[in-house]
Amino acid sequence: MIPEIGNFFLIASFSVATFIFCLATFSYYFEREILDLSTLIYFKFGFVFLSFLALEVSFLFDDFSVLYVASNSNPFLPNYYKISALWGGHEGSMLLFILILSLWIILFALFSKYQSARDKNYLYGFTSLIFMSFSGFTIFTSNPFERLLPVPPLNGTDLNPLLQDFAFTIHPPMLYLGYAGLVIPFAIALGRCIGVKDAWSSRIKKWTTLSWSFLTLGIALGSWWAYYELGWGGWWFWDPVENSSLVPWLIATALIHSAIVTDKRNIFVNWTILLAVLAVIGSFIGMFLVRSGILTSVHTFALDPERGLILLIITLLISIYSFYLFFRADTVPKETTDYTFYSKEFFLLINNALLLILAAVILFGTIYPIIYDIFTGGKSITVGAPYFNLTSVPIAFFIAFFQGYGILTSWGNSKKQKNYYLLLLGIVFLLTFLFTYTLFSYPDIFSFASYLMFAAIISGLVIYIFKNLNNKNLVVNNLGMVTAHFGIAIMILGIGVVSSFSQNKEVIIGKGEFTNLSNYKVKLIEEGKEEFSNYFSEVVQFEVENNVTQKKILLKPEKSFYPASNNVMTESDIYIRPKEDLYISLSEKLESGKWIAKIQIKPFVRLIWIGALIMMIGGFLAVFRRIKYE
Amino acid sequence: MIKIRRNRLYAVLFIVSSSAVAVGLVLIALNQNINLFYSPSELLESGPLKNKSIRIGGLVEKGSLNRVSDSLEVNFIITDLKEKVAVKYSGILPDLFKEDAGVVATGYYDKNNNSFQAFEILAKHDENYEPKEVVNALEGK
Repeated sequence: MIPEIGNFFLIASFSVATFIFCLATFSYYFEREILDLSTLIYFKFGFVFLSFLALEVSFLFDDFSVLYVASNSNPFLPNYYKISALWGGHEGSMLLFILILSLWIILFALFSKYQSARDKNYLYGFTSLIFMSFSGFTIFTSNPFERLLPVPPLNGTDLNPLLQDFAFTIHPPMLYLGYAGLVIPFAIALGRCIGVKDAWSSRIKKWTTLSWSFLTLGIALGSWWAYYELGWGGWWFWDPVENSSLVPWLIATALIHSAIVTDKRNIFVNWTILLAVLAVIGSFIGMFLVRSGILTSVHTFALDPERGLILLIITLLISIYSFYLFFRADTVPKETTDYTFYSKEFFLLINNALLLILAAVILFGTIYPIIYDIFTGGKSITVGAPYFNLTSVPIAFFIAFFQGYGILTSWGNSKKQKNYYLLLLGIVFLLTFLFTYTLFSYPDIFSFASYLMFAAIISGLVIYIFKNLNNKNLVVNNLGMVTAHFGIAIMILGIGVVSSFSQNKEVIIGKGEFTNLSNYKVKLIEEGKEEFSNYFSEVVQFEVENNVTQKKILLKPEKSFYPASNNVMTESDIYIRPKEDLYISLSEKLESGKWIAKIQIKPFVRLIWIGALIMMIGGFLAVFRRIKYE
Repeated sequence: MIKIRRNRLYAVLFIVSSSAVAVGLVLIALNQNINLFYSPSELLESGPLKNKSIRIGGLVEKGSLNRVSDSLEVNFIITDLKEKVAVKYSGILPDLFKEDAGVVATGYYDKNNNSFQAFEILAKHDENYEPKEVVNALEGK
């Protein structure tokens, strides 16, 4: 009964969204006043929420007559994971996505005040168009409430053990908060195309920054999850799934900066609108790539090409609709402001161009196997990680340099301040040499590039703060920007150091034996078995001794076996220190009773996620400080 | 007005030149870093150039997996049920790597003695999933 109620409310929300879209379109073309659609927006959210609850209840009560529950849960799964199992597969994660989308829409309804209710109705119409597409897609192609009747299985096949993990429980919700949030600036931009001008650019800036913050956190959580849960210490694989979250992130980053210019100077209007549309289309293309099975990936959903086709059609239709509105609109403002070569406008333009080029290069590398397949008649290739490193590092390098100097320029014309440029360069080199020679004695080109980038951004920020010491309000107002830029600098440093100075060793080790890596002596002291409600594992204890401090600690990596799904998991164990992580994972036990193990040292790896966290905080500061001041 | 036009020119020049650099980078990177996929039959038909890394895939033949005692070195045979290739690998094998299951190996092919030196081994990542290319190789596509 409960799954039927859930299905009913899902269909109800789809109908409400369709109704809102039709009503808004009607009101626009026939220029009629209609009622305020806000009430319907709340109803829509209520319906999706009830539907979501119904599926959660089915999971908690082990209702295996529901196909989706049967294939993603198990009676022995702890309750906590039963709740998060809802977004462990394709169908449920679509339901989570539309729940979060409708949440964003009511936040928009609550916190954005428009002078005319009609204008706001149009924007509800655009958001409902997206909602309608995806709730329709869920109902017709991936309904999570589908039943296995008349004979339901007694047992579920269990949640993929990789997903039985804390980071996974919050990673998809954060990521979807990011993707779905981009729908609000998309609606505002389309609204601008049909003449809704009410503070549109500053609204785009705020809503994009907010969803960008969640997207940043979501991507970082995914990377952190891969690092410790996939078992082998990789934090970024240039995998299609990761790339298709990075591309919208880069576009959203460009959009924030372009919206700042539009808001301040009333230029780049078309560009801002275009980026807002591209950000949403980019995330849909990502969704298509991930869920259609057209590209294989290390972490992914159950795949179905037919669904992919429908997602592709939805993406195409929404693109055509948006570009139709975009090209028929008259959006170029009559009064434009002038700017010169050495102005903030020009530097932000450079930043936008480079960010988009970077996004295009990454997207191209991701879909190149498809293109190749089509043009060679079925030949299969993969594009390796070196492609992405080789192309993205040089582009990112220039972005960092323009970023460092760019924040020192002023609007319109900043010719007078050219001397800052020299000062900046001086500090960059000083910082770089300090870093290279105090931290590690032998720099390679990647780490050297990352030090330079770090130094460029940091010195730009330091000069910016010193320059504006007598103008404290400015710095306080831009605290979010400063924090976010600081975050990316920290992240770049972490990436450079961990990519260049990681060490690893694959060893065969028996009880009582030891091996040395860097300053550590790693000794295998004990083996044992443990049993849990839904899996059992072999646990090996290592004693790690730091040769410098003589401190000893125990690490217990495991090899786990999940009988319900017949899966094996490598559970690594990590000795976390401020300077580096010591990471041990087990491979297999040999006939001689010895273990194959991989021991790795990952210096400063945590800076990557700390940097992302700082960026997110920066984003929130930027949004909430400004709300206070206006 | 001239000023605005000049700015446009700068902007366009910058975008065009940086795009050109990016395209150049992409071409160089693609040239070096794509790995073509071969099934064992295709390998024997038209072996790739030496010193170019490729991927091969199929099933690990039953009874072919053997480990050089107490070392990281393993030898096994990949088959598409028609042809076979002997694979050498030194390193950690994925968790779900086993005989009679799908596998994709990246490495270098030596045509003279039909052997493959792998530097990366991928197996399926859960019980229900076979790599798409392995399925195609077995069906002889």
